[in-house]
Amino acid sequence: MRNLVFLIFFIVFATQGQTKMTTEEASALKLKAQAFAKDTESIFSDFTQYKHLDFLDNDIKSTGKLAFKAPDLVKWAYETPFSYAIIFRDNKIFINDEGRKSDIDIGRNKMFKQLNNLIVSSVKGDMFDDEKFVIDYYKLENASLVHFKPKDEKLAKFIKAFHITFNEAADVVEVKMIESSQDYTKIVFTNKVLNQPIDDTVFKP
Amino acid sequence: MIRFLSLSLVLLFVSCASYPEKQQFQSINDQADFHNVYFSNVEKDYVYKASIEVYDKVFGGIFIVKKIDDLHHRVVFTTEMGNKILDFSFDKEAFKVNSILEALDKKILINVLKKDFKVLITENLKLKAAFKSDKQTVGQTVIDSDDYFYFGTNPLNKIVKSKCGKAQVVFTFSEISNNIAHNINIQHFNIKFKMGLKSIN
Repeated sequence: MRNLVFLIFFIVFATQGQTKMTTEEASALKLKAQAFAKDTESIFSDFTQYKHLDFLDNDIKSTGKLAFKAPDLVKWAYETPFSYAIIFRDNKIFINDEGRKSDIDIGRNKMFKQLNNLIVSSVKGDMFDDEKFVIDYYKLENASLVHFKPKDEKLAKFIKAFHITFNEAADVVEVKMIESSQDYTKIVFTNKVLNQPIDDTVFKP
Repeated sequence: MIRFLSLSLVLLFVSCASYPEKQQFQSINDQADFHNVYFSNVEKDYVYKASIEVYDKVFGGIFIVKKIDDLHHRVVFTTEMGNKILDFSFDKEAFKVNSILEALDKKILINVLKKDFKVLITENLKLKAAFKSDKQTVGQTVIDSDDYFYFGTNPLNKIVKSKCGKAQVVFTFSEISNNIAHNINIQHFNIKFKMGLKSIN
């Protein structure tokens, strides 16, 4: 019986960890996050990526550095367990795979273009577009969680939902991309430095 | 006419000499079963950084193999950023494409990958014949009606798929420790396709 009481308490407590926001709370967060994104001229951050596949015993962990410069320069540089950099610049993707360089022209590929825009907006935390997503807002302890479900069927086939966690200042601390199979990629940002000058050479392929 | 036909038959026979003959293998009397241990541990997640060269184009990604159960493997390929490119299941003789990017959903490509991956994960092999070459044992076996030659027993260092006496696909395994091949290369000779795998976990 004591166990049952404990279990009920646990369930009530656990579900309270993530409660839906009221309409007022949701629009307040949206305004705050949009203002924060608008003021973000540059980001320099460490990141840890966890690739979760249901059938694996452990998530695949990789770490690296992210650089962003407004309006749309992005560089993901993986450092462990392999060296790999991907730069989004001028409608192109530049890749440096352990010294082997290549590039992809995304100008004509609608899907790539869409993904590129999503990466930029998710890093900045500015994805509040009701026409493109079904958006749900949740409260966490000292943070907020927003679920963005793409309305575009083609995109939804790729990514069923983006779950973005904002800290109290409405800055993005975690991005989780969930596939239709429930497998996901989670990126956690640490040591984030905002609005410090970043030289364009950082984004040079 | 008869002379011409006989000559053609002789030429055909010569051009289709067996791989052991062409390589001058010495036949030996060793018909023990053969075990490929490289993806055989259910407790291990096998994760590799992959580099694929197809017709002068180079792609990178993460190659993942998990043994779910006896004769049951999952093989997944993702981009470095985590997006799934393909997801295959091999469950006994059944093969299933769980998902594949639309652009890669081509029967020929799936078939090539299916054959290669099946060779990587097939553990127990019945030998059809055995040979000696440069002091190492070579076992001949058949997977899905294709001939394969396994070089080295402990550890296995090379697999050759042959047709008409010629190597069509060569798998090489190196940097081997604790039953894991940390470096695997798959090179096709009939199509421009090459895959390099480097263990990262």
